[in-house]
Amino acid sequence: MLRRFHLTPIIVLAVAALAGCERRGGCTGPYCGTLIDAAVAEPPTLLPPSTENIVANDIGEQLFLKLADVGMSTNTVGDEDFQPLLAQKWEWDGPLTLVFHLDPRARWQDGQRVTAADVEFTFDAYTDSTVGSPFRPKLHRIASVTQRDSLTAVFRFKEKYPEMFYDAVYHMRILPAHLLRAVPRDQWTTAAFGRQPVGDGPYRFVRWQAAQSIELVADSTFFLGRPGIRRLIWRITPDLQVAVQQVIAGEADIREQLVTPDNVARARAAGLSLYPFRGSVYTLLDFNLRASDDTTKPHPIFADRTLRRALSMAVDRASLVKSALGDLGKVPPGPMSELLGIWDPDIRQVPYDSALAARILNGQGWRDHDGDGIRDKDGQPLAFHILVPTSSVLRRQYARLLQEQFRAIGVHVEIDELEPSVVSQRVATGKFDTAILSRQNDPSPSSGIAQSWTRAGFGGSNFGRYYSADFEQLVDRAVTATSRDQARALWRRAMETLNADAPGIFLYSLQNVGAVHKRVENVQFRPDSWAALLRTWRIPPEKMIDRDRVER
Amino acid sequence: MTGAWLLRRLVASVAIIFAVVTFVFILIHAAPGKPCGGQSENVDPAVCDQLNRQFGLDRPIPEQYWRYIVALSHGNLGYSASLRRPVAEAIVETIPFTLQLAGAALLLDFLLGLGLGIYQAGRVNRLPDVIIGNATLFIYSLPTFWLALLLLLIFGEKLGWFPVGGASDPVLCAVVDSVYCLKDRIWHLVLPAATLGLVGAAGTARFQRAAMLDVATQDYVRTARAKGLPERRVVLRHQLRNALLSFITRFGLAFPFLLTGAVLIETIFAWPGMGRLAFDAILTRDYSLVTATALVASTMVVGGNLLADILLGLADPRLRVRAGADVEALTA
Repeated sequence: MLRRFHLTPIIVLAVAALAGCERRGGCTGPYCGTLIDAAVAEPPTLLPPSTENIVANDIGEQLFLKLADVGMSTNTVGDEDFQPLLAQKWEWDGPLTLVFHLDPRARWQDGQRVTAADVEFTFDAYTDSTVGSPFRPKLHRIASVTQRDSLTAVFRFKEKYPEMFYDAVYHMRILPAHLLRAVPRDQWTTAAFGRQPVGDGPYRFVRWQAAQSIELVADSTFFLGRPGIRRLIWRITPDLQVAVQQVIAGEADIREQLVTPDNVARARAAGLSLYPFRGSVYTLLDFNLRASDDTTKPHPIFADRTLRRALSMAVDRASLVKSALGDLGKVPPGPMSELLGIWDPDIRQVPYDSALAARILNGQGWRDHDGDGIRDKDGQPLAFHILVPTSSVLRRQYARLLQEQFRAIGVHVEIDELEPSVVSQRVATGKFDTAILSRQNDPSPSSGIAQSWTRAGFGGSNFGRYYSADFEQLVDRAVTATSRDQARALWRRAMETLNADAPGIFLYSLQNVGAVHKRVENVQFRPDSWAALLRTWRIPPEKMIDRDRVER
Repeated sequence: MTGAWLLRRLVASVAIIFAVVTFVFILIHAAPGKPCGGQSENVDPAVCDQLNRQFGLDRPIPEQYWRYIVALSHGNLGYSASLRRPVAEAIVETIPFTLQLAGAALLLDFLLGLGLGIYQAGRVNRLPDVIIGNATLFIYSLPTFWLALLLLLIFGEKLGWFPVGGASDPVLCAVVDSVYCLKDRIWHLVLPAATLGLVGAAGTARFQRAAMLDVATQDYVRTARAKGLPERRVVLRHQLRNALLSFITRFGLAFPFLLTGAVLIETIFAWPGMGRLAFDAILTRDYSLVTATALVASTMVVGGNLLADILLGLADPRLRVRAGADVEALTA
C-alpha cells in the first residue's frame, strides 16, 4: 500500500514528462528554420547609438536599417557597390549636398511609416553630446540633415571628400522618432526601448532573457523580401571554448569566429561548414613614446626612433604568426586589418634582422657591460614592461614569445598580466611602457587610423602619443583625395612613413573563420559585419531538424 | 535558545552584512581599473566620461558611498553601469538560478557525502574504505574548473548525454512553464550541479567518516552495543545521530563554498546565476552591481550560518542551555 502511494506521483510525472516531449511544432514551409548563434557576450542595450558592442551590432543589423550599406567588396569610396536599404535611391544636389529618397514601403514594426523626419531625428540623436554616442566623432564632417518632404532626407557636408556617402549611411541606423522623441536624451543609455526595441528591419524583437538569450522572429511582411530563416536566437555563452562546443554538439548553429587553429580543426572534424572571411582586428605591441610616470617627458627608451626601429627588427613577426596562429593569422603591413582596402603586403616595413638590430644597439652604446646578459648604457639596463590583459590567451602567449625574442638580443622584458579593466585604465592614462593591444577597424581607414595615430587621438586612442607631421599631412591628403587610386597611393605613403618611425610592432591580423551547421544554405559573411546578410540565409525544408519546425 | 539570543544573533548578522557591504564598496573603488570599457581598451574616453557622469561615478568616493547607503536604506540597490538596468532587477532574475544550482549541488553533496562517510566508517581500514578514501581525496583535489571542462567535454560534446551549457533549451523552453520544460531545466542542471556537488561530496564524505569514527568510541555507543542492540540500530540511532552535529555545522560552512564555486561554474556552464553576474561585474568594475551581489551573498552566508546555529541548538540540548546562560549573563 505504502509502495503504491509513493509510485503514483512518479508515474504521473513520468507520463506528463513524456507528453511534454511530444511538444513539437509543425512549421514545414520554405520560411521555417531556427538559427542559434553561440554569442560570447551580452549587449548592454539594443539601442544602436548607445553601444558599439559587437553582438548589439549583429542584432541591430536585423532590427534597424541603415539608409544604404556597403556591399561585399566593402568599398567605402563614392557609392560604388553600396546596397539600397531604407533609401530607394539617392542623388547629389551640388558638391556638398546628398539627397536620399526613402522607400515608401518601409514601415516600423508598430505600423508607422518610416519618414525623413526619422532620418533627421536620428542624425540629431547620434550627434547629441548628451547621448554620448561612440559614433559621434565619425559624423563630424556632416553639417546637417533635414527633411525636404516626408520621404526625402537631405545631407549637407562641411567639405568635399571621397567617403561622404559612406559617412552618411554607414554609422547610423535610422531610429523611430515617434517612439524615442519623448525619452530624455540623458537617459538613452538606460532607456527601456533598448531592451524592447521596435525596428524596421527584417526581424522583430521577441524577447531578451538576461544572461541567456535574445530572440528575434522574421517579419514576413518585410518590404525588401521575407527573411529565409524564421527565428534567430543569440544564445549567450561567455566562454569561447564552450560556445564552440555548443556548435559542435549541435546545440547552436553558428559561431562566427573560431579564433584558434585548434577550434577550426575541431569544427572541421565535426562536419561543420567553415567560411573564412577577412578579419577586422589587428594586434600590435604599442610603444609608449612618453614616460610612463610623467606623460610630459619623453620615454627613456621609446622616444628614441633608432631604438624603436632596432627593437622592431629584433622581432620575427612571420614566425610568431606561424607558431601561434598557423594559417589563421597574417603579418599586417601597418596598423590595419585585412578588412581595409589599403591592405597591401608590399607596403615597406621594418625588416626582421636581429643581427642588424644588435649592431644598431651596439652603435647606440647599449652593450652588455656587466656580463649579465642584458644590455645597458650609463648603468641603465635595456629593460621594459609589456602590459597584456589576462582575458586574452593569445596575447599572453604573444607576450612570452616576444619576451624570448627580445631576450635573444639582450633586452630584458617583464610581463604585466592584468585584468582588462586595469589595462584599459593604464593605457588611457599613459601608465605603461608597451602594451599588446587589439584594434578593430571599420571598412574605412579614415577615422580609425586618424584617431589612433595622429594628434587628434591624444587623450583618446593614440595611447602611445605617436606624432609625425609628415604622416599627418599624408593622412589628411589621403582622406580628402579625389580618386580611389590617389587615396590608395597616399595611404601607402602614410603607412610607410609610420612604419619607418616604428611606433609599435604590428604583430598579427586574425583571419576570421565562421562555423555554421551544414543544413544552412546561401550563407554569406560580409567581412565587416558577418550578420549583415542573415536575412538571405536559408534552411531547405528537407534539411530541417526538430527545432526548425517549432512554432510557438 | 531564547528569543533574546535569536535577536542578538540577528542584530549581529545585520552588522556583519553592513560591514561586508562597506568593505566591498571601499575595496572595489580602491581597486585599479575603470568602470567604463572594462573589457575593451578601445572605448573613447569622451564616451566614458558621459557614462560616468550619468551613473554618478565622477563624484568623490565618500559622496558615492553616502548616496549608496541612503539609496540602500530605501531599498534601492542602484543602477548597473554595465547592464544599463536596475541592479535589483538583475539580482532578482539571477538568484533563482543560483539557488537552483546551489540547492542541487548541496543535495548531491550531502546525500552522497553522508552516505559514503557512513559506509566508510562501517568498514574502516578495509578495502572499500581505502578505495573510497582515495577516490574522494582525488576528487577533492581536482580544480573545479578543470572538472567542469572535463565533464563538458565527455558528457556534453563527446557523448551528447547532457547539454553543453545554458539553463534551458532556448527554442522549446526559454521559461519553465510545463513539465517538459521542468525536465529540460533539470537536464541542464545536471553537469554544473554534479561538478559542484561532487567536489563538495568528497569533502563531506571525509568529514563525516571522521565524525562517525569519533562518536564510535563514545561510552553510549559502547553501551548500546553491550545491550545487544542490532548494529544497524547502533549506527543509525546512536552513532549517526550524534555525528550529525558536525554535519549541521558543515551545512553552514557549505554556503560560502557553493557561492564561491558558483562564480566559476556559472561562467563555464553559461548558467545565468548570481555568481556569473558578480564575476562579470568585478571585471567591468560595475560598482553598484559588485556591492549588491556582495550584499546578497553575505546575507545568504550569514543566514545559512544562523540557520545552522538554530538547527544545532535544536539538535543539541547542551547548546541550548549554554546559549540561555549566555543571555542570562548578559542581561544580569
